[in-house]
Amino acid sequence: MSSPRSDRSTQRPPVRTLALLLVAGLLAVACGPASATAIAAQGLEPGPDGWRGIPLERERTVPEATLLDTQGDAVALHEAFTGTPTLLFFGYTSCPDICPIHLAAIASAMGTAGVSFDDLDVVFVSVDPDRDTPERIDDYLANFSRRIVGLHGDLAVVEDALAQLDLPGPVVEGADPRGEGDLIGHPAQVIGFDADGQALRTWPFGARRSDWIADLPRIVEEWS
Amino acid sequence: MNVAWWCSSTPGQIWTWRYTPFIGVWVMAATFIGGYVLAHRRDGRAVDPKLLRRWVLGVLALFLVSEWPIGQLGVGYLATVGIARYIVYTFVAAPLLLAGLPDWLVTRWFPDGSRRRQVLATVTSWPIALLVFNAVLFGTHLPITVDTLKVTQLGSFGVDVLHLGAALIWWWPAMQKVPAENVIEEPLRAFYLFASSVLMFVPAAFLTFSPLPLYGLYELAPPLWLGFDPTADQQAAGIVMNVGGGFVLWAIIATLFLRWAAAKEAEDTAARRLRNEATLARMAALDPETAGAAGTAGAPETSGAAGTAGADPDRQPTSD
Repeated sequence: MSSPRSDRSTQRPPVRTLALLLVAGLLAVACGPASATAIAAQGLEPGPDGWRGIPLERERTVPEATLLDTQGDAVALHEAFTGTPTLLFFGYTSCPDICPIHLAAIASAMGTAGVSFDDLDVVFVSVDPDRDTPERIDDYLANFSRRIVGLHGDLAVVEDALAQLDLPGPVVEGADPRGEGDLIGHPAQVIGFDADGQALRTWPFGARRSDWIADLPRIVEEWS
Repeated sequence: MNVAWWCSSTPGQIWTWRYTPFIGVWVMAATFIGGYVLAHRRDGRAVDPKLLRRWVLGVLALFLVSEWPIGQLGVGYLATVGIARYIVYTFVAAPLLLAGLPDWLVTRWFPDGSRRRQVLATVTSWPIALLVFNAVLFGTHLPITVDTLKVTQLGSFGVDVLHLGAALIWWWPAMQKVPAENVIEEPLRAFYLFASSVLMFVPAAFLTFSPLPLYGLYELAPPLWLGFDPTADQQAAGIVMNVGGGFVLWAIIATLFLRWAAAKEAEDTAARRLRNEATLARMAALDPETAGAAGTAGAPETSGAAGTAGADPDRQPTSD
């Protein structure tokens, strides 16, 4: 169908329209929805030995610290968590991202890989003693697995345990946008200990279920 | 290796239900509608309300799935919403936008004989369109693509543009737009749409039946609620793709096919009626008495005799 106007106007390329679309596109890029993960999200790369967990170069052991479990019983870490391989993670129950992602990935991968909590201890130590009551820790861990051991204690004891592992202590980083108090910065890695209590490998945030499925059977087999 | 050693508020975006407008999406929607009206004004034409309604509904569909919260949830948090966005882009927004686009505007943007027109004619020929659509479908749902492109704002926008572009190209021959040589009719159109729906089951099956999350983007995104399982989210995404890409598309195919069959039947009936009338006229010319009797029974819908006669004009009684 031909335009009522002149042929010249019909044939004119829609430069203005394209420019307008380009500007709108650029604005959409700059002011549009964005990914929530700040990392490339492709998981850990396998090392030359096939492990996904990163080997620790300096010798470290299960910290000599005594904390409380959710029943109120004292737990001496270096005694309780030798004899079986252990995965140790420091976090807090109000954590919006890394803590629940790590714990969900480990619990899910253990089920998929057929690794039993009888053969591997998974320990969560709270870095937020003010908010993390025993009940709250119990409820929180029940979202992943009731077999994950939840521990808490005075902040000074937790900081000492972290220091023994050459890790920095927790830091209050500002208000949680969800209105749940403060966000707390803390080390994001899971540390793996063999049955003798030697720290051998670490899994930073970015480890996916597939990474855990590759490493968990080896942990049980080679570290027990 | 890109990993985090420190858990802080900065590495990810914590999900909150606080409204966050995406100005770019608003500007995009305004540009689409404003540009449409402006194009009519510049050409001195009145806007057809029916076409405008379709165009605006198409833009509205794009807007709803790109603005907060659906846009943000789909891009960064839930695979299910991400796939639902794709379905809306492909099966709602693209056909509505095309249905609202007048042919003269297409001709104006792609003038006859121009290079742009040649490109349009090439990409909208049905075999190429089918290829482009499925290449984009498969390519943009590969884990490596999602985890590489969708973790950046530019990449994510690029994927959205690809989805919409491929959907427009795919719908083009089926929606019977210009150029006329690319228009496809039934039953080829039904096959064309059906072929894509079948191919869509492939990525949908991977999503539904994979025992592990395929996309790190969604697996490592801040969970919306505690106990959130990214594998279940991915399975739901596969079902959404199956339902949207399969069953909804099949409903569209069935509707188009039935409409075509009904039109064909009406066409055949009209042709039969014409043939009957011609035969009756011939008979009337030869023998007015016989023609009179047959003429009484000649209303095809009211007379069984005429119906029988109408079914096969060669069996009409002759005047001999």
